Parts: sequence; C-alpha cells; structure tokens
Amino acid sequence: MIRYLVRKLPSVVLVLLVTSVIAFSLPRLVPGDPAALLAGPDASPQTIAAIRAELGLDQPYVTQYLHWMQGLFTGDLGTSLQYRRPVSELIGDRIGSTLELAVLAGLLLVVAGIGLGVAAGSSNRRWSRFLTEGTNTTMLAMPPFLAGLLLILVFGVALPVLPISGEVSVLSDPVIGIQYLILPAIALALPMAAGIARLVQTQMRSVQQEDFVDLATAKGVPSGRIYRRHVLRNSLGPAVVAIGIRFGDLLAGAVVIEAIFARNGIGQLAVTSAQASDYAVIQVVIVGTVFVAVMAQLLTEITLAALDPRIRLA
Amino acid sequence: MSATSAPARRATKDVRRAPRFPTLHRYLMVLKSGRGITALVLLGTLVALALLAPALFPGGYDEQSSGALAGPSAAHWLGTDEFGRDILVRTIYGLRTDLTLIITAVPVSLAIGTLLGLTGYLNGRLGLFVQRALDIVLGIPGLLLGIMIVLVIGAGWFALFSAIVIAGLPQFGRLARAGLLTQQDREYAVASRTLGVPRRTVMVRHILPNVVDPLLVTAAIYTVAAIFIEASLSIVGLGINPPQPSLGALLNTGARYVQTLPTYVIGPGVVLLLLALAFTLLSDALNKAANRR
Repeated sequence: MIRYLVRKLPSVVLVLLVTSVIAFSLPRLVPGDPAALLAGPDASPQTIAAIRAELGLDQPYVTQYLHWMQGLFTGDLGTSLQYRRPVSELIGDRIGSTLELAVLAGLLLVVAGIGLGVAAGSSNRRWSRFLTEGTNTTMLAMPPFLAGLLLILVFGVALPVLPISGEVSVLSDPVIGIQYLILPAIALALPMAAGIARLVQTQMRSVQQEDFVDLATAKGVPSGRIYRRHVLRNSLGPAVVAIGIRFGDLLAGAVVIEAIFARNGIGQLAVTSAQASDYAVIQVVIVGTVFVAVMAQLLTEITLAALDPRIRLA
Repeated sequence: MSATSAPARRATKDVRRAPRFPTLHRYLMVLKSGRGITALVLLGTLVALALLAPALFPGGYDEQSSGALAGPSAAHWLGTDEFGRDILVRTIYGLRTDLTLIITAVPVSLAIGTLLGLTGYLNGRLGLFVQRALDIVLGIPGLLLGIMIVLVIGAGWFALFSAIVIAGLPQFGRLARAGLLTQQDREYAVASRTLGVPRRTVMVRHILPNVVDPLLVTAAIYTVAAIFIEASLSIVGLGINPPQPSLGALLNTGARYVQTLPTYVIGPGVVLLLLALAFTLLSDALNKAANRR
C-alpha cells in the first residue's frame, strides 16, 4: 500500500499545484489595482505604493506565489481584509460547524445510500421495490437546496418539531445541537444517497446473475449468507467510487445548506468573502476544499482494494 | 389518425425509408413517446408564460401594492413580498430570467465543449492537454467554480452565464472525445482521409454528426444542472442582482420569510421543479429517440 501511495503522489501533487496556482491567480485576474482599491478613492500615490509594498504586490508573481505557498505550509494563511483578522482564526472559528454537518451528512449518505440500495436490490417483492424505486427517483431529481426547503416547510413550518435556523455546537450541548443539525444533514445527504442507492441496486441485480451465485446456491449456502458474502461485497465497488467522487459535491452542497439553514460555517465565510472580494479567505477555502476532495478520492481507492482483493494497490 | 389509416401508413413507411433529413426525422420520434409529449407540453407552457409575462403583467416585476408580506388573496395568488410586490408576477419574471440564462448558456457550453473534445483529431498532443485541463475543471465542485468566477467578474447575469458554460465544458468535452476515439478509426473516416479530404472537413462533416446524439441527450441533462447552478448561486446571494428576480433569488429571500409566508418559497420552488422535470423528461425521450435508429 505504501508503494501505491508513493506512485499516486505525483498526480495528487499536480492537482493540488494547479489548484493553488488558480487560487493564487484569481485576484490577479481582476481588472484594476487591488492596492488602489484598498486604499480608497482619495488615496495619494504614495499611500498606494506603500500598500502595494506591504502586500508584496510590487514583487514578481513567482516570488509572490512562493511566499504565499510558504505561508500555507507554515500555517500563516494571510489576513482577511474584511474582518481584519488572520484567516486561520476565521476558519478555526467556523470549521467545527461545517465538520459537524459534513460528518453527519457523510454518515447518512453512506448508511442511507447503501441501505436503500440493498433494500431495493435484494427484495423481490413488488411493493417494496416500487417504494424504494419511487423514493429514489424523487430524491434523485431533487438538489440539496430544494430538499432543504421542503424539509423546512414540513418539519419547521407545517409541523414545527425541529429548529430550522441557526445552530448549537454538538460538542457543547449534544441534545440541542443534534436537533439543529438533523434537517441540514438530511437535506445535504439524501439527494446524493439516492444516486448511491441506485448504483448499489443495479449492481446487485447484475451480480445476482453471476455464475458464482448459482454455484453458492447449488452448494447449499443459506441465502442470507449469499447476500452478505457474495452479492453485497461484489456490489459495493461502484458505490464506494461514487461516494469518493461526490465528496467534493458534498462540501459544495454544504455552502448552500448553510445559507438556507442560517448556519455560520466555512461555506458562509466563503460566500461573504466572495461578496466582499476578500481574496485571502477564498484562496485558502479553495485550496482546502480541493485538498479534502483529493484525499477523499485516495481513501476511496484504498477502501476499494480492501473490498476486492483482486485489485492490487501496487 | 383513425384506425383505418394504419395499413396505409405501414405501406408508406417502406417508401420513406430514407427521409430527407434523417437526423431531424429521428428527433421527431421524441413526439411519439408519452414522456416526450409531456416534456414538450410542460416546457411549452413555461416558455409561453415567460414570453407572455410583459403582456400578462404590464406593471413589470417591480410594481408595488399597498401591503407588504400579505398572504395569498384573489388579487395576489401567492401573496406579496417584503416590498409589496406580487410574488406570482415575480416568479414568472424569474422564470423568464432562468430560461434566458439556460437557453443562451447551455448551447454555448455544448458548442465550445464539443470543439474542445474534438481538438484531438487535429492535433493529438493538444487533445491530451485539453483533456487534462478539463479533468481539473471537473475536479472543482460546481459551486466553488461559481464562487471563483464571481470573485473575478463580480456577481450578476454574466457570472452565472460563465459558470454554467465552464462547468459544462468537461462533460461535453469528454463525451465528444470518447465519440471521436471510437469514430476516428472507422472505415468511413479512414477512407475519407485516404481520398484526401482535409482533417477539418472529415471532423465536421463525418465525425461530428456521429457523436451528436449522446451530446444532445447530455445537453438536456446538463440543462437541469444549469438550472440548479443558477439557483444555488442565487440562494447564497451570488447570483442575479436585485431587483431583477430569478427563481433562485426568490428562494433566497423567500427562505427568510418561510415562517410567515410559506408561499414565497413554494411558488418559485414548484416552478423550478417543473422546469427541471421538463428537461429530465425531455432527456429521457431524446435518449430513446437517439437509440432507436
């Protein structure tokens, strides 16, 4: 496995490098002089030059880039122009909220996606198949924000049982915190879970046609064991891949979900920073998100190899 | 179309084996499936509503009435918003914004993406480079891409347009390249090259028509994604600038008043779903028609 990780390293580094270059170039693509913008309309040329020197904008792009990258590695993420605070502090304040949401949504995604898929793929009763396929199709067509609004309408307005706005940290108060978390997490996870479920379902159907299943039946293996050991294990591959690929979408979806449920997480920080042209913050968020997404994909491939010994990570 | 004309039609079928516009003829098959008809009727109604909006509501989307945040009534079916503007009128004008956006952006994305995907036929190395670049775009989640674009050119119609165009490029580009790779070694392509037809002509006249089916189906599917890109960006407040309404922008403000006036969210939400549903059904019908051959 270590050999595999070493071999995989160049492509991971390449993606991260390209992303960091894009993130670095963003403010420089904007027409106009950021120093002049910062200084305000009545600033003297001396002030603008001083700001430019302070931000390092008078140096060549390569030097600026290397300096910025050095900062990323040493934990100096720059200073937000909007909040006048270090970016690391701003992110540190909000990462808990987004992590809670992403972890619960990720768990729901895996459990509901695979659970629904297995239910639809293993049962041959018509009504259960109809029910699972029906829910799958409905949720498949529904993006997280619509699912979120629907959940708000049903569980926040029609039957007000759960809070629909704001948040309480799960760590400080688990009972209340989970109540604030449950609707956003469901809204984020369910539409993607529907996609995963459909993959598992179709895969299970095709694996059931394989010869080794017939052989196991002929040997007299109990049907429960056939499903667990033979069908299920061979059906999860595409679902695992899909979960890994969709992890980036999960993070992006969190931005919209945070907006709808008025949660103060990284997504909200990214949005307010984009509105205020606060580049220092956005750059870090972009690099961080892509980093997490790439890591999720690596993890996927390792899981895949654990599921299927025929795949060698060499 | 009575039952008696059925044998007659069957007879003419053989005569008309080669219609004059084969591609068009094939796509007219969309009209023969239930899904296709439902999709076109639904889409037609929505487009008609959007087109007729200025005639139906001459006051425009900014006309104010006396009461703000009033509930549904005979005068205002969905109630009025925080400035006393009719929500139904704003929803229909918002639909107009969304339709203009997708009708302009998706074809542009389709055209550029297809060309990028086919570059490999003109220059192998360029083709590989384009694919690498598209892979990187594909790796960036759509909303993050939108935020990056907003950062560079500012929130508004053009940012949404660019986000939809760019987010679609990898999908169309990869599909076109996959089609190209299977078609370029077929006998007809090789024969045309041997006869001295320039690569560019072979690409446009022979290869492109053979990869167009999956591209059109994907365009219909991607339109749904485009609608959701607009809505997502507008919901977080990085979309169309107020006071112009869009379906996403209405959901953005509507979500704030969901407790007092649920119709503010329900109206635009239902229209958004119907629009997405129409294009989903259309893509299904197109897929069927394309695979009929």
